[in-house]
Amino acid sequence: MRDLKAVGKKFVHVMYPKKSSALLRDWDLWGPLVLCVSLALMLQGGSADSKDDGGPQFAEVFVIIWFGAVVITLNSKLLGGTISFFQSLCVLGYCVLPLTVAMLVCRLVLLAGSGTVSFIIRLIVVVAMFGWSTLASTAFLADSQPPNRKALVVYPIFLFYFVISWMILTFTPQ
Amino acid sequence: RRRRAARCGAGGGGGGSPGPSPLTGSPPQALVDDTEDVSLDFGSEEELALRKAKIRHPLATFFHLFFRVSAIITYLFCDWFSNSFVACFVTILLLLSFDFWSVKNVTGRLLVGLRWWNQIDEDGKSHWVFEAKRVPTIAASTEAEARIFWLGLIICPVIWTMFFFSTLFSLKLKWLALVIAGISLQTANLYGYIHCKVGGQKSISRLTSRFFVTADVPKSKYRVGPSATAHETYQPASRCWFCSFWVLVPKITPGRAILVFQ
Repeated sequence: MRDLKAVGKKFVHVMYPKKSSALLRDWDLWGPLVLCVSLALMLQGGSADSKDDGGPQFAEVFVIIWFGAVVITLNSKLLGGTISFFQSLCVLGYCVLPLTVAMLVCRLVLLAGSGTVSFIIRLIVVVAMFGWSTLASTAFLADSQPPNRKALVVYPIFLFYFVISWMILTFTPQ
Repeated sequence: RRRRAARCGAGGGGGGSPGPSPLTGSPPQALVDDTEDVSLDFGSEEELALRKAKIRHPLATFFHLFFRVSAIITYLFCDWFSNSFVACFVTILLLLSFDFWSVKNVTGRLLVGLRWWNQIDEDGKSHWVFEAKRVPTIAASTEAEARIFWLGLIICPVIWTMFFFSTLFSLKLKWLALVIAGISLQTANLYGYIHCKVGGQKSISRLTSRFFVTADVPKSKYRVGPSATAHETYQPASRCWFCSFWVLVPKITPGRAILVFQ
């Protein structure tokens, strides 16, 4: 189906980020929805003090991702960016893909054990994917800003992915 | 040869029904003398049944209501189905997303002839386009369908708003994210279609002179494209703020259905 192919093409674009306007022109929010739901599913039931079935954490991840993306978009629009609201949401959502992959890898590594070695492996993977996410989204978003404002736009994106990476890294299964 | 073609075409298309064509009220031969085109009447049983049916798109009507109502029912009775918050959340979210997609892309177009989408052109400007169907077609929607469409479209966001307040005041805050998502998705469709409808009635007189202007704008891929019937024509329902040109679907001129069998 046409929509599914468009979503798949965008996933490929994120993994090999080159500046292309195709990702920006035809925005859709299906990919971010799928990524958000899968990340939230993988992150739930993680911390030791949750007495119920992971309810609050699931909704937390959801809210953090969407609310964070909205705030970053508002920030970039207030700084005078030329990109439209939904395009920016689309790009930020799709660039969560490397972090979702990192979460998957972390979960697999944690199945094998949770010692120092696994922590080091997880750290390396998460840092690499965090860097990839930030670079990918910056490649798409920073170009829509005037040159002296680029750092002001990149900083919230950095923070956003940092928070998600932190949640991934500090995930410990019960 | 044209005359023979007319007779063959009319005879074949009419399914053996004798007499003048219902489209013009005169015998088919008279048409051929005047014009080069052959006007055919279907006059078949399927078309008459289609005209008489109260609901011409049963599947679209069903799905229009199915996803919305099942999302609401699942939200109300999720404790009966499963203990898991996450399963309920994801199920309701998926139902809401499918509902949004189907109402925006399929049922609005089929049931009331309206459509809206967002389009970004080469220099990065974003336009919101709202269109309303101009010419009523043979398979156009009936009153019953339109009524079902609008009722479903209006009542569900109201119900989700009530859920919002009940969640807020009963402090079951973990459902708040879902209710807000539901409200925003359903209200988006409601707003889009109301804009199409209201815009269409305001700007009809301005459009008649521009009817033949066609702009070659690549349409957004996230809309199901116009179906290939010869009768469909759309008019822009409103000039959105960023638009500097009309978006019109160039189609066959109205008034004459021209279909040649051979």
